Amino acid sequence: MKAAAMSNRQSPIANRPIRLLTAVPICDGHDSAINTINLEFIRHGMEVIYLGYHRSARDIVRAAIQEDVRAIGISSYNGGHVEFFAEVLDLLKKNGAADIGVFGGGGGTITSADAHAMEKKGVGRIFFPGTPLAEMVTFVREAYGRTRKGRLPKGTPNRRPSDYDLARWLTAAEAGSLQIANHKSQIANLTVGVTGPGGAGKTTLIDELALRFLKADGNARLAILSHDPSLMGKGALLGDRATMIYSQDDRVFMRSLATRGQTGGLSQGTARCLQLLKRSGFDLVLVETVGTGQEAMPFGRELADKTILVMSPDYGSRLQLQKIVMLDAADVVVVNKSDLAAAKTAAAEIEQRLALNQRGQKLISTVAKCHRDEGVDALFRLLFP
Amino acid sequence: MLQTFRPYVRKFPQDGSWLRCALEGAWKPAMSILASIVDAVEAHGRFVERQVARVRNDPKWRDQILKRWRTLRAGASNVTTPTGLKLPRLALPQTNESGEIARYLYGEGLPGEFPFVNGAYPEMYLEGDSAAGISNSKSQIANRKSQIVNPKSKVANRKSEEPTRLFAGLGLADDTNQRFHYLTRQQRSIRLSTAFDGPTLYGLDSDAEGVFGKIGEGGVAIDTVEDMERLYAGFPLGDEHFSVSMTINGPAPVILAMYVAAARRRFGPDTVAKLRGTIQADILKEVQAQNEIIFPLDASLRFLTDMVEFTITHMPRWYPISISGYHIAEAGATPVQQAAYTLSNGFAYVEWFRKRGLDVNQFAPRLSFFLDCGLDIEYLALARVCRKFWAVGMRDVFGANTKGQLFKLHTQTSGRSLIAQEFKNNVTRTAVELMLAYINATNSCHSNSADEPFTTPNEEYVRLAAQAQAILLEESGLFKFMMNALSGSPGMKIVERALEEGILNEFREIDRLGGVRAAIEHRYQRSQIQAAAHRYEQQINDSTRPIIGLNRYRDAGDKAPAVKVIRTPRQKKQLQLDRLMKFKRRHRAETGRALDELSQVVESGGNVFAQLIHTVEHCSLGQITGRLHELVGHYRPSV
Repeated sequence: MKAAAMSNRQSPIANRPIRLLTAVPICDGHDSAINTINLEFIRHGMEVIYLGYHRSARDIVRAAIQEDVRAIGISSYNGGHVEFFAEVLDLLKKNGAADIGVFGGGGGTITSADAHAMEKKGVGRIFFPGTPLAEMVTFVREAYGRTRKGRLPKGTPNRRPSDYDLARWLTAAEAGSLQIANHKSQIANLTVGVTGPGGAGKTTLIDELALRFLKADGNARLAILSHDPSLMGKGALLGDRATMIYSQDDRVFMRSLATRGQTGGLSQGTARCLQLLKRSGFDLVLVETVGTGQEAMPFGRELADKTILVMSPDYGSRLQLQKIVMLDAADVVVVNKSDLAAAKTAAAEIEQRLALNQRGQKLISTVAKCHRDEGVDALFRLLFP
Repeated sequence: MLQTFRPYVRKFPQDGSWLRCALEGAWKPAMSILASIVDAVEAHGRFVERQVARVRNDPKWRDQILKRWRTLRAGASNVTTPTGLKLPRLALPQTNESGEIARYLYGEGLPGEFPFVNGAYPEMYLEGDSAAGISNSKSQIANRKSQIVNPKSKVANRKSEEPTRLFAGLGLADDTNQRFHYLTRQQRSIRLSTAFDGPTLYGLDSDAEGVFGKIGEGGVAIDTVEDMERLYAGFPLGDEHFSVSMTINGPAPVILAMYVAAARRRFGPDTVAKLRGTIQADILKEVQAQNEIIFPLDASLRFLTDMVEFTITHMPRWYPISISGYHIAEAGATPVQQAAYTLSNGFAYVEWFRKRGLDVNQFAPRLSFFLDCGLDIEYLALARVCRKFWAVGMRDVFGANTKGQLFKLHTQTSGRSLIAQEFKNNVTRTAVELMLAYINATNSCHSNSADEPFTTPNEEYVRLAAQAQAILLEESGLFKFMMNALSGSPGMKIVERALEEGILNEFREIDRLGGVRAAIEHRYQRSQIQAAAHRYEQQINDSTRPIIGLNRYRDAGDKAPAVKVIRTPRQKKQLQLDRLMKFKRRHRAETGRALDELSQVVESGGNVFAQLIHTVEHCSLGQITGRLHELVGHYRPSV
């Protein structure tokens, strides 16, 4: 495939923020320390993809590779750390990603003898209880401040790249140093944009769609491009992965982008990243915006084939509803949290509004937090008839 | 006394604003129960003040209360200390002023009397006068004890069981069993408390992907009913003086079903009704703090309610839920937050069970509580205030009878307060916390071991922790002679009032959000706990919160302590896998059918717990949770 050509084989990421992935190991729910540490990293300008607690080594390594992070930070409190860190290192090596650093810490269950053994095996550093947060920040800056050694993968983006190659190319695409020629003919998949105000349940809805997608076809592959807000040159918490259950799967490629000061719900690199994802052999690409306001209209036709606006019933008055411009642009409007008292009113008001548009827009009510919700089933059938 | 039964739905605002709200769709008619609790607590405060005024103004009432006071004083039995001091068994305030007496009797209550500020029961840690004690009982345990040459059992004749309850769990079931036997050699009554390993806590089998390193770490590995038989081997499960506590939440119904099945296997079906103990099963605090919930909240609550419904009918001596603030506090909450979230969770459960049609007076006496006790000054009175809130709420909002008003409390000293640096200081920290716990009249107590910052405690430090309790209760004269010797100091009362206001404010906030469930969806409790945890860390960082040996008086030469670390050896982990494999192979033919029967009960709305008791005969923990996940989904983490 020659749809893409790289303008620059050299690492293009010199000035971008340090990207880290943090997580708590499987069967461990101690997230108090990692929450504090995440905030500290973000305060110092890092982009932290937080995977949450009770995460397997496989989930952690998959996410780290897909997110093209510089290092993985693991906070372990209830034992088994020697084996767990070893498994993470091992999986990184097996996937050709040994250049992603691993560091960690936790409760006093990690003895200095353990730490010594773990560091010998390749863990960058183990922090003990009582370590000042500043010391961790300094360590991360010094150890992981430089760009990854690995060059961009050889060859050109093809129809079915490995997670590792795709992730590296996405980094270049985000930075604008990877140009991809636009040949529409080679796009065979469906790209769906998902937007809506913060707290409406976009991430949950996407994860529930992922469950149905993976079940419906045992071979199909899914890409998710998710956005979280950040300011130019500042850190960000990219936390969508932490609340996802079903999207932690080898057939799902997920990438989190910080907006880095861009308004409108997407990032400057979104279009380029999407072009790349559309050519990477996925059957479905979902793009999630940051929580948007009334004026946002993040998706043009060149970005997404279909757009979904996810709303919660508590948007306020009918007047407020009139101001939401996405209501005119979206192909599907989802009223999530339709178990709330105001849901029926909301559905009625939105339906009237859509009828006025005369565009055949669909309205679906969902309770995405419920397992096997019929509304989500209906939405899935609408996307994949 | 006026029994106010308050309506659950708040009145419409009188100014017509409800119409505006309703039209805008923003007004939610279903108000939370917490608003009624706040009203009831405030009403109780006003009631007490009215009583104070009445006895001061009305001679008839004054005479009556003074007469009662004199009778109380005269009626208290006396005890003679080893030094010859003659003391009353019950310490009462030294006042003869009728108003103050009314404030005490109505506002705090005598130990064992509403609102139970001074204690759930009249005699907590008092030792009896006579030689009659549990050693005269005909029970198996008493017989066993009398065969052991233990001078303590001859000396201490506590009127009730000793409050010491030590948490243990390590390695495989056999290892923990051995630790249990070791621990109870030092206890007069057998009160076991079980810690489970990570895979068990998350409902996974030991052969699940990526958990090998966690098998038997930090708790015991339980995969099957056979492990459960091994875990309590040698203990008389149906004995009236034997009780067991299990600290597990997400998969609690499966684990308790295994316990019931194991008891039936060993002692026959009649044992089930005699089983005595507690299972934590507090799913709300998992969502708010501890993160060990595995099924979605609605499904979790349904499984829990099925279990509660079963135990209150068939296992009348069982406590099917331990409403816990411990993990909330350990996750970083302030003491006020700990108390407020624990109490509000408790009221939410009561509301939930009632909606399912359970009778308050049947289930309320089977609810128990579990709080953390740390070094902050709030712990001088935290449990006292909690007892009052619970009693007032249960009586005045839910109409519970006296047994259902009792806040029965297990306390554990703070794990978070222990540090690795100069770790032997942890003995002192725990001792201070223990003292606070007993001043607060806890019903049972676990004291942490000093080496816990590094390891599952070694026997040496477990012994120190256990004996700290014995020193406090048996050796020192503070608790065994006189009830309430340390209650009611001016400082304690000031702290009580501050706590009360703090808890009421938290209740109001949760109510504003629509109640406990709605607040959870808003991530309210989680965000507050996280913010408090962050503040705590910052305070340690900038030394405004002194931690001796860490940010103050730090020994520059302090090296990592040479403490023996208890780990589960590889061969043992492998043994657990082998056992599990054999179990699965042996039951291969029945597993599928047993799981299908379980599915049927889940889908048809039957009692899942009653079915689980049969399912565990043929299926492992992981097989069962796997099937339940298919049916009800996974819990979606909140971060």
